[in-house]
Amino acid sequence: MHELGIVYEVVRIVDGFVQENQLTKVEKIVLEVGQLSQAIPRFLEECYPAAVSETAYEDTKLEIIVLPANGKCKSCNEVYNIIEHRRICPKCHRDEYALISGEEFNIKEIVAG
Amino acid sequence: MDELKVFTIKKNIQEDNAKVAEITRSQLRKQGTYLVNIMSSPGSGKTSTIVRTIKALKDEMKIGVMEADIDSDVDAKAVQEAGAKAIQLHTGGMCHLDATMTRQGIEELGVEELDLVFLENIGNLICPAGYDTGAMKNVAILSVPEGDDKPLKYPKIFGKVDVLIVNKIDAIEHFDFRMDLLEERVRRLNEDIIIFPISAKTGEGLDEWLNWIRKEVRKRG
Ligand SMILES: Nc1nc2c(ncn2[C@@H]2O[C@H](COP(=O)(O)OP(=O)(O)OP(=O)(O)O)[C@@H](O)[C@H]2O)c(=O)[nH]1
Ligand SMILES: [Mg+2]
Ligand SMILES: [Zn+2]
Repeated sequence: MHELGIVYEVVRIVDGFVQENQLTKVEKIVLEVGQLSQAIPRFLEECYPAAVSETAYEDTKLEIIVLPANGKCKSCNEVYNIIEHRRICPKCHRDEYALISGEEFNIKEIVAG
Repeated sequence: MDELKVFTIKKNIQEDNAKVAEITRSQLRKQGTYLVNIMSSPGSGKTSTIVRTIKALKDEMKIGVMEADIDSDVDAKAVQEAGAKAIQLHTGGMCHLDATMTRQGIEELGVEELDLVFLENIGNLICPAGYDTGAMKNVAILSVPEGDDKPLKYPKIFGKVDVLIVNKIDAIEHFDFRMDLLEERVRRLNEDIIIFPISAKTGEGLDEWLNWIRKEVRKRG
């Protein structure tokens, strides 16, 4: 599954950060995942235990913050969710927008000591 | 209990992949190794095309192959027998290769003396398209039995690759496959794509592909 590789990559990056900053315990990893990103949050959650099993992150929690697929209408500047509104501006009914969020896939932060 | 703090990372995962891929590319360029990433659905003819290519070019250049089969080494064995240096990547159920896995493969294979390296990606038209592996060029293979409508269903991969090989043209009379329709659909997504209709079975159309590879390898670095 696609998400498994992504989760491995997340753990690898977190591990790099942990080594660099000489941390000893990671309580939680917080991800920001856009609605249009390559990964599906539910699948990420399902893969996560497999990716961390028998590693130093076995007890580390995973939190996922979903960022909306928001576009800004090029005609009237309305900001709307392009998935919910099927790309069409709810105010002026045109479909030309500039995407302002939704493609993110970030490790936002970790809670660690 | 230890004191816990929040560390802001704000790291974009795709960005990280892109960075690793860029490093791979510049290192390979420096040492003169040309890496080609080959993507297709399972069974389109990645291994057959690679084997044919090795047999035709092995006296002109040194060739290596990284095989990413899910759970077997049959393809790695086939390309080894054809005369290339080959390894099996350990992909453990993954559906795509990313830049880090590709780098690990390159290290394991040892590419210093190689002129040309093929990466046989995992059989899948969706996920591999999202990941830069560090290859110089990306090639997709579509085989005739899959149908000429695939660019409509998988626009991302057809929009992204440099070359499209249309394989199994020896079987075209058995399928409702229109080459002109396919080309029109692909070009709508990717104006500059190079298309080679071939048969890895009979060798038809292979010369154009081989010449393209020769030219690319010559101008590498
Ligand atoms: N008729 C015909 N059959 C072909 C051709 N190329 C490959 N095949 C057959 O198609 C099947 C799959 O070919 P492979 O080269 O193993 O395909 P692949 O893309 O490497 O497959 P996976 O690695 O399993 O994803 C084999 O039975 C080949 O003999 C061709 O040009 N014509
Ligand atoms: Mg194969
Ligand atoms: Zn509007």
